[in-house]
Amino acid sequence: MTTISTAQRYWEDVSDGEELAGYTLDLTWTKMAEQVSGSQDFYPVHHDPGFAQEAGHADIFYNTGFTQAALARLLTDWAGPGGWVRKLSFQMRKMNMPNDHLRIKGEVTGKSEGDGSMGEVTIDLWIENDRVGITTPAEATVQLPRRGS
Amino acid sequence: MPKAVDGPYDIEAVRKEWIGKKTEARRGRYPVEHDPIRRYCHMVEDTNPLFLDPDFAVTTEHGGVIAPPAMVSYFSGNGAWPRVQEQNLMGDIPTRGARLINMNTDWEYLRPIHIGDRLSAQSEVVDMFEKPIRLDPKAVWIVTENRITDQNGELVAVGRNTLLTHRTPEAVAADTEGARA
Repeated sequence: MTTISTAQRYWEDVSDGEELAGYTLDLTWTKMAEQVSGSQDFYPVHHDPGFAQEAGHADIFYNTGFTQAALARLLTDWAGPGGWVRKLSFQMRKMNMPNDHLRIKGEVTGKSEGDGSMGEVTIDLWIENDRVGITTPAEATVQLPRRGS
Repeated sequence: MPKAVDGPYDIEAVRKEWIGKKTEARRGRYPVEHDPIRRYCHMVEDTNPLFLDPDFAVTTEHGGVIAPPAMVSYFSGNGAWPRVQEQNLMGDIPTRGARLINMNTDWEYLRPIHIGDRLSAQSEVVDMFEKPIRLDPKAVWIVTENRITDQNGELVAVGRNTLLTHRTPEAVAADTEGARA
């Protein structure tokens, strides 16, 4: 939890197929409250089990803001302060629900020169939980500085 | 929140009327601020000092705290309270059901946003279609494009979002019964 994201990663040091250091989140009821606080998304399907069940869901599920923040954190932790998340796309195919244990993981899928002083890295990343496996596949492009730039 | 309609629903007529409609660029209620960033980081246990620690951030090339990239939407909006009457595409699009599930999100971030920046958002409906899901054989999907600009009118991010709207199981069952009758 106490990742200190101050180390700079450089484009030259990244290799294709490299795994990003993943992290985990436990979806306790306190985490549910933090989700609503952090995202300011008060749609009840994300905090009211009765409302969610009336719509046909087994329970509440975590919202887009939380999902996007969880994926983006993996990238910004990895890239360091001089890196930049240029693109992030994700598909919410399955749900993350109370009591799930999430793993947020990723892998480098390619490198290119980019333009200017930054090189580009493409990354596949995802959120998975023990209950249903991968819930949220995602793709990203991250720009990293070159050594000496 | 889309407007669920009772009775007949003609997706082709809705597509013809709504695809291409866009809002004006609307400025968010407040500038980019520290405390919403802190709460946002808290939910995913993000301790990144570039987002949270002004003393560290000032030593970086950014010259100060920047917001996590995905917070462009947050700071270009009005927040949940007090509610604001505004032109809101999503509030007026006719759908079959009022229940929502957000599906796909696709953003390009063009430059960092700093404390004090003022962001604006413009939304456009770029596609609508019917596609069945487990909960509703006639779910209506809405694709929007969102353009975020700063106080100088410069584009800082562009996103596409796919939202599906569906009916409750009870409403689907009632519709099926009605069709049989």
